[in-house]
Amino acid sequence: MTIVSMRVNGVEVSREVPDNILLAYFLREELGMTGTHVGCDTSQCGCCVVHVDGVSLKSCTTLAAQVNGCSVSTIEGLANEGVLHPIQKAFAAMHALQCGFCTPGMMMSAVDLITGHGRPLTEEDVREGMEGNLCRCTGYHNIVKAIITASHEMHAGAGDAQAA
Amino acid sequence: MNDRLLKTTNPGGSPLINERLFKSIGKPLQRKEDQRLITGKGRFTDDFSMADQTWAWMVRSPYPHARIVHIDKTAALAMPGVLAVLTGADCMQDGLNAIQHSPVPSTQYDVKLRGPGDTPVFTGQHYLLPVDKARFVGEAIAMVVAETRDQASAAAEAVEVQYEELPWVFDSREAAKPDAPRVWEDIPGNVLVDATFGDIEGTEKAFAAAAHVVTFKSHVGRVTGVGLEPRAALGHYDADGDAYTLYAGSGGAVRQKRELADVLGVDQKKIRVLSFDVGGNFGTRNRLYVEAGLVLWSSKKVGRPVKFRAERSESFLTDYQGRDLVTDVSLAIDRDGKFLAMRAHNLSNVGSVLVSLSPLGKGSGLITGSYDIPLATLRAQAVFTNTMATQAYRSSGRPEVTFAIERLIDRAALQIGMDRVELRRRNLVKPDQMPYMNAVGSTYDSGEYEINMDALLELGDFAGAEARRAEAQSRGKLLGIGFCNYVESSIGTPKERVDLIVHADSVEVVIGTQPAGQGHETSFAQVAADVLNVPFEQVFIIMGDTDVVSAGGGTHSGRSMRHASTIIVLAAEELVMQGRKIAAHVFDVAVDQLAYDDGVFRCLYDNRAWTWFELAAKAAAAKLPPELAAGLRVRFDNEMHTPVFPNGSCMCEIEIDPETGSLEIKRYATIDDVGRCINPLIVHGQAHGAIAQGVGQAMWEGCHIDPATGQPLVGSLMDYGMPRFDNLPSFKNEIAEVLSPTNPFGVKAGGEGGTTGALAVIMSAVEDALLPICGVIEMEMPATPLKVWTAIQEGRKRQREKSPARTDARPEVTA
Repeated sequence: MTIVSMRVNGVEVSREVPDNILLAYFLREELGMTGTHVGCDTSQCGCCVVHVDGVSLKSCTTLAAQVNGCSVSTIEGLANEGVLHPIQKAFAAMHALQCGFCTPGMMMSAVDLITGHGRPLTEEDVREGMEGNLCRCTGYHNIVKAIITASHEMHAGAGDAQAA
Repeated sequence: MNDRLLKTTNPGGSPLINERLFKSIGKPLQRKEDQRLITGKGRFTDDFSMADQTWAWMVRSPYPHARIVHIDKTAALAMPGVLAVLTGADCMQDGLNAIQHSPVPSTQYDVKLRGPGDTPVFTGQHYLLPVDKARFVGEAIAMVVAETRDQASAAAEAVEVQYEELPWVFDSREAAKPDAPRVWEDIPGNVLVDATFGDIEGTEKAFAAAAHVVTFKSHVGRVTGVGLEPRAALGHYDADGDAYTLYAGSGGAVRQKRELADVLGVDQKKIRVLSFDVGGNFGTRNRLYVEAGLVLWSSKKVGRPVKFRAERSESFLTDYQGRDLVTDVSLAIDRDGKFLAMRAHNLSNVGSVLVSLSPLGKGSGLITGSYDIPLATLRAQAVFTNTMATQAYRSSGRPEVTFAIERLIDRAALQIGMDRVELRRRNLVKPDQMPYMNAVGSTYDSGEYEINMDALLELGDFAGAEARRAEAQSRGKLLGIGFCNYVESSIGTPKERVDLIVHADSVEVVIGTQPAGQGHETSFAQVAADVLNVPFEQVFIIMGDTDVVSAGGGTHSGRSMRHASTIIVLAAEELVMQGRKIAAHVFDVAVDQLAYDDGVFRCLYDNRAWTWFELAAKAAAAKLPPELAAGLRVRFDNEMHTPVFPNGSCMCEIEIDPETGSLEIKRYATIDDVGRCINPLIVHGQAHGAIAQGVGQAMWEGCHIDPATGQPLVGSLMDYGMPRFDNLPSFKNEIAEVLSPTNPFGVKAGGEGGTTGALAVIMSAVEDALLPICGVIEMEMPATPLKVWTAIQEGRKRQREKSPARTDARPEVTA
């Protein structure tokens, strides 16, 4: 057993856990934060993506102990005091989710992708940059639209992609 | 939305359906489901845990076929945390029954599938754990229950199973041979269905007299659903109440409850099943899994809740799989290009045990596709093999037969030298033939196939395709243009139940369907809102808990929107009668002095008028006589058998790099006649996902089995070719609404059309691209770059041998 401490969505947590517990299960089973999902166990599907110190990471193949002392944000922390994040608004508005299982990881990846670009995204940016997330329901069509839309809101004033 | 197609008031309609007043129906309203799903508050099976819960792990067969000689639990039972090790012998000792899947389609509209020699179909026995032998790789042979999942997993390694390996067979053609290894000793061979339909003599005569006969053979391979939520089940036996509770996402909790009661040999009242958010179904979760029964049974044995959660590799091995049909079709055509007759021989691989004949049956009724082919005969066969069982997978059976007829017609066009669009045009079923009974007895309810086809060709700019082909050629690329029509059927369980309850501030609709992302909470609320003329925001759909939902047919076969819209309006008619009686009582007037119109109850001789919510508030405060004491609440049961036939057309363009064989979809367009579209946002989303699933099968997906060992080669998402962000294009879709005359709203179905045409249209494009080099290709799906590259090499070699100077010129085709 190991004591693992981290800041999750701004709250300090500390738990004594088995040495081999994965970050995804630390969140789901130790903290009861079941918004982060596990779809494949092999870091292929991206359902488990969270941010560690602001960068997206697949929590199903990361030991909780590896992020000891880090700041972790999850889907539960994406909305700000009840105000939805632009990516959440865009996903709902454009029907970018159906069963919703891939959605938390999908949105966490998208936020990192958008943030990392510093400008609104093109369809090509999204299709290449989101390649590590799988969805079985939507054929990606509406997810692509939603991420582009959110990228415009998040980078309002940064100029459009063609100009960048 | 496609406004070319005139919506008409449906003859089978209801006084409560008033298009003029629709505020929600037909609007792309955002989904009610989304708020919880985008904030991490979904309720998927593994999100539920119970105090003192234990974990299950399955010991799975490493062999495709092996006798279970002995199972030694000793070492496993001595491992830390282990509470129980259970086997098939324990199941027998406790008197557990085999799962009753009701696998043979049995409504009056289903094709009647029978065993060889017109015998009843043998299904095999699907016990929770087998006693005699393992019949596929991955079959659960024993179960370990331990304090933690890691402990259960470790102990499973220590369960010593002594197997005697047996000869195995995984290919349906091999399995159908008389000397093949036998999956079940109970019947003479592996063939469990052998039935012939249609006018054999007439068909033979038509073939004999035909100017052209065209044939096509293929194997539509095995794929799997890959819902991203791995299967899970949490079971609890409460000794005090002698009652079982199961959390397990599925395609319908009521069915699971019924079948689990049979397995455990207990009254249905003793079982509660909860199925809330389901992370993808596509048919794979519509049949009961052994683990659902095992967690309940073992919970009683260990006296604590038991949870099972599959690894992705277990999902690949043991989720019910899809397709796997060998098809051999031929078409007789006269000198003018009119189809005269069709012959088909379809062989379905059901796997190791029969859970559903839906794929074979649904396909059998649609072999003639969208075309007026007066005569047809079909031989439908099914065989057992040493593979995971197959089940209805998105658009069960229809993509397979659509693939067969559409590829056959492409081939016919080439063979007889006629334009493929024109050849189809000459043979499409025409609107004035509707309702149209096809040559194997299916009656298509409605449709405007030629209008759809023309609209699709315009949407996809078919006319500009040759210019795009030339442009691709100038870059050294081969552009293929794929095109097809489709018709599919939606039948499904005929019974549904609804409870409609009006409160002072909301309407509750309790119904027995089970979505896995199809948006029932939204689209059903749109219907209820407009039927009752109440705000959409105040309608709530309740599903998934068998303590609340007492009956219902679940979600499959595109049945849900049609059944739900129908039963909601029928129940609402009864609710209006109930409302008038209550209003009459509350306001002390005769019932005939009360009118109801557009959501308002009016007293005819004064100005008093109350909305549903006002009446509900007054009713709650009033003392109602016993016959009205339930208030504004009705329960309605409905049975609706008549199938509907969604249909449409698809076009795609694929660019192939002849040097590498790589493929890129450049364009994909569809027109889908879904009948009345309740929510176009949702229906378009369904089309996108359905297309991706069909394209996946055509281009990447396959549950490959090693022919040397019988071992499945696909165990993770690294091995299975999924549709991804970077290998799909954005789509162009239009909805056509030709109302079905079979139900009040005219709904057909919108979830499966995209998949139905996708296999055919992709392979049509691949063949079209390769035509100048390869001619007609015999390529089984998936059309991988390796297969394409190999075909190009062989084609070029043949060309060089034939005529060294020949270029990659396209063959002449005349219209």
